Amino acid sequence: MIDEKLDTSGLLCPLPVYKASTVLSRMEPGQVLELVCTDPGSLADIPALARQRGDILRNVEEQPGRQVFLIEKGPVQ
Amino acid sequence: MTTQLTDLETDQHLRRYDDIRDLLPGPDNPTPLVRLNRITNADWYLKIEWMNPFGSLKDRTAAYLLAGMVERGELDGRDLVEATSGNTGIALAALAGLLGTHLTVTIPDGVPEEKKVLLRMLGAEVWPTPDDLCPVDHPKDGAIALARSLAASEGGSRYAMANQYESEDNVKAHYETTGPEIWNQTEGRVRTFVAGFGTCGTITGIGRFLKEQDPSIRVIGIEPQKGHRLPGLKSFEEAKQPSILDWSVIDDVIHVDDEAAYAFTKRLYREESLMVGPSTGAVVAALDQLRDTGLAVGISADSGFKYTSYFADVLGDEGLPQI
Repeated sequence: MIDEKLDTSGLLCPLPVYKASTVLSRMEPGQVLELVCTDPGSLADIPALARQRGDILRNVEEQPGRQVFLIEKGPVQ
Repeated sequence: MTTQLTDLETDQHLRRYDDIRDLLPGPDNPTPLVRLNRITNADWYLKIEWMNPFGSLKDRTAAYLLAGMVERGELDGRDLVEATSGNTGIALAALAGLLGTHLTVTIPDGVPEEKKVLLRMLGAEVWPTPDDLCPVDHPKDGAIALARSLAASEGGSRYAMANQYESEDNVKAHYETTGPEIWNQTEGRVRTFVAGFGTCGTITGIGRFLKEQDPSIRVIGIEPQKGHRLPGLKSFEEAKQPSILDWSVIDDVIHVDDEAAYAFTKRLYREESLMVGPSTGAVVAALDQLRDTGLAVGISADSGFKYTSYFADVLGDEGLPQI
């Protein structure tokens, strides 16, 4: 189940990281964020963000010209 | 109904101004140079930049950055974005507001709340940014990286970045105003000049001007410790060196830690009655490490009013009744 969606199409890193971090911060542990990025740098930055924050990267899907991440918010940080 | 305005024009002598921008400093309207009389027996002066209309040294930088951007048409149809530890943002917000231009600021998380609130009061949008925002492939300057990405996103159509870390207009501001002011105010007798490394426009612009007048003038840069709490200053151990920094005008670098900087800040309040910001304490702590300075000038970039939350941490329970 997806609880929040964030589309950062057209935004360059670190903007998607900043926005994802802001949204994840206001979510509850266990809730899932669907994040859409178009900056290829996100393939490295978003998994690193999840690790840094203690969130769980559930899935990464590479589609033509974009990446879709499913991130589950980790325990209270 | 329109009001008939008087024909009183700006008059520096009477301190009467048509417009707040007429207070911006320059060789004809210099900020004060004040001697330290109690902290030292040496010939040390501080350039009191908090007497500028928007409260800091960065009024000069912001005025030149904006003028350059307007001249090059960079703000046509675009908003302004900048990475700042506060003072440049405050001056940019004030000056851009007068042009009808909106400012978005990316600001390091650790900057005092007072600055963030003042920026919002001026109508700026404030994005507090962790230094290590981008987990991979970016330097520690998270706010700079974020401002760059805002400027580059959406094909660069929405924002123009002032970019004080790379703009020669920043250097020019100090080469054309602060440098000549110091030279004039000391009647050419300045022997040592001290300023912190931040964007490096100040030390490069003033240093270049002073070296052109007399190459034997010593120009000293101050570098804080890693993880310091001295807004406006940069440790190059953790931050990238700005491209506008010109090492050829710098003779020495002095390292100052928070403890020394805040100790001298406190002394400036209590012994000289100068209500400075913490970077001024770092400047005087650096002067204290020098010998035979001759007539020395240090930059007092801003006042302490935007740092009261930091000062509260430093003071602890000092000055409260010990009952």
